Amino acid sequence: MHGSLEHLKIEIDLLAPGAERIVGRNPPLDIIARDIIFGEGPVWDARGKQLYFTDIIGDTIWKWKPGTGQEIVMRPSVKANGLALDLENRLLAAGWGGRTVFRFEKDGAIKTLADRWQGRKLSSPNDIVVKSDGSIWFTDPPGGLLNVGMVGIDLQRYLDNQPVFRIAPDGKSMTMVTDDFVYPNGLCFSPDEKLLYVNCSRERVIRVYDVKPDGTLGKGRLFHQYTGPERGVPDGIKCDVEGNVYCTAPGGIYVHDTTGKVLARIKTPGHHATNIAWGDDDWRSLYITMIGSVVRTRLNIAGVPSR
Amino acid sequence: MAWEFEKVAGPYKGRTGGLAWDGSAMLFSAVQEERILRFDPATGNADVFRKYTGRTNGLAILKDGSVLGAQEGGRRVIHFLKDGSTAPTNELLDGQHHNQPTDIIVDGKGWAWVADPYNAQPPYGPPAFPFLDHASVLRLEPDGPRTWKLERITHDTRGPRAVLLSADEKTLFVADGDAERGDVCQLFAYPVKPDGSVGPAKALLVFAPAERGIEGLCLDSEGNIVACAGWKKGGVGPMAYVISPSGTILESHPAPADLPMRCAFGDAGLASLYLTAGDGGLYRARDTGRRGLKR
Repeated sequence: MHGSLEHLKIEIDLLAPGAERIVGRNPPLDIIARDIIFGEGPVWDARGKQLYFTDIIGDTIWKWKPGTGQEIVMRPSVKANGLALDLENRLLAAGWGGRTVFRFEKDGAIKTLADRWQGRKLSSPNDIVVKSDGSIWFTDPPGGLLNVGMVGIDLQRYLDNQPVFRIAPDGKSMTMVTDDFVYPNGLCFSPDEKLLYVNCSRERVIRVYDVKPDGTLGKGRLFHQYTGPERGVPDGIKCDVEGNVYCTAPGGIYVHDTTGKVLARIKTPGHHATNIAWGDDDWRSLYITMIGSVVRTRLNIAGVPSR
Repeated sequence: MAWEFEKVAGPYKGRTGGLAWDGSAMLFSAVQEERILRFDPATGNADVFRKYTGRTNGLAILKDGSVLGAQEGGRRVIHFLKDGSTAPTNELLDGQHHNQPTDIIVDGKGWAWVADPYNAQPPYGPPAFPFLDHASVLRLEPDGPRTWKLERITHDTRGPRAVLLSADEKTLFVADGDAERGDVCQLFAYPVKPDGSVGPAKALLVFAPAERGIEGLCLDSEGNIVACAGWKKGGVGPMAYVISPSGTILESHPAPADLPMRCAFGDAGLASLYLTAGDGGLYRARDTGRRGLKR
């Protein structure tokens, strides 16, 4: 459970020389949203200058605009989880409890992009990212068929594996790019898109893959294994412009260099961070979704723009 | 008459759990394998009935042949539909998520009585919802297509492990207390009132401290309670009992394995007693001198 927001604060562990160049000792903390149950799916819309995020258990997709505040985008939201923006700045959602990946069309209609694999219903698409060629990548673990307060109308799992899928840029075909995972969760590309990072909530690892020009992946390598005693699991993951990797994990948001070494940890004591997104004009703000709230801090480095 | 149990299926990983006779075969839960299997006495085979059950334990069959499951891992009762899909029921008791259902039965009206204790193994997902401040017997009543009303039935249980209704459905038997949590274990009988609520409990049996109480209950054709209980750690060990409705132990039989979990009559004429256990086996005693109650 989450503690009172009055006591919400950020604590920084600087764990390697030079980490302060990336994360300051006393970064600010702004509370963006407080009346939510389970924050997830943050993505910054640079054109609209607004943040989209989900409240999975609250069954809502929200947007928040500085100076304006929160507005409902979709409710009920089929317990949607991860969000992303495509090349046309359309909002995409990993439908989680609703078991689909869907897109908001310009006219407000909802278009289903994926709901089955080889004739069987997907499990529960968790997180989603768009590559600069327009391909859509998402993880499909079964948590949205099990987790308390997050399920939809059919809880039966039909797929025997837990894949990462790729929808081709033309939207017409979907391929399984890996099923190395017992619970794939967050995923992101390196700044040059030559690497794909995917974390696993069950094994508490991040794996990294070479991304081939044809959209397939090389063999996965272990990037980091979390071993700490803290509660929680790897969940959201994003890169900064230098390729450092940020992952919400047991005990806080870990900052890794490109070799996997831990540079710093951004902690929110008593509050469970689920996912992160870079945002604001300079992409140096880090939006953090949590159980119970969404907050924002500032870093000394810019993130990879979400579009 | 001694009961001779034979192992007819397993072992499966972890404990086997809930049992339900579907008219020609015995459904049983391999809880940790997250599967429900179906043992067909005609062939001797145990085939997969359902995969990915989210640690479903207790099972009950509705009139239409669909199956309700007590999903310990997901903190809900789920409905295995005949088309292969699985629907949730009502997970909220007065707006709060209930605990981790472990046993379930269905009465003549199609209402489901659910034992909703705490569980040593945490549920799936982030801990976003606290457990209830009570562990009670709950009841689900159909309230339209895919909707269920959920009510609290007992107000004095510490951790109900198994539920059973008498043949006339006027008495609710509840095996209460989890010895693994240090509870004193008891078998309670509650009068069921015409409005569906229950009157004050009578303790039919009280187990000694550190003795593992009853985990599984079923009814024989004479209205006696068949129960499995106990462990090798203490007391008289793992046992199966026949208990009169007033609480007299009529028969005691050694269980075939430690930590007996659930028991149910099956086979032609409900003439055999099946039992699940901590070793992950499915056991059957063909000649118990008793038959199950046909409801």
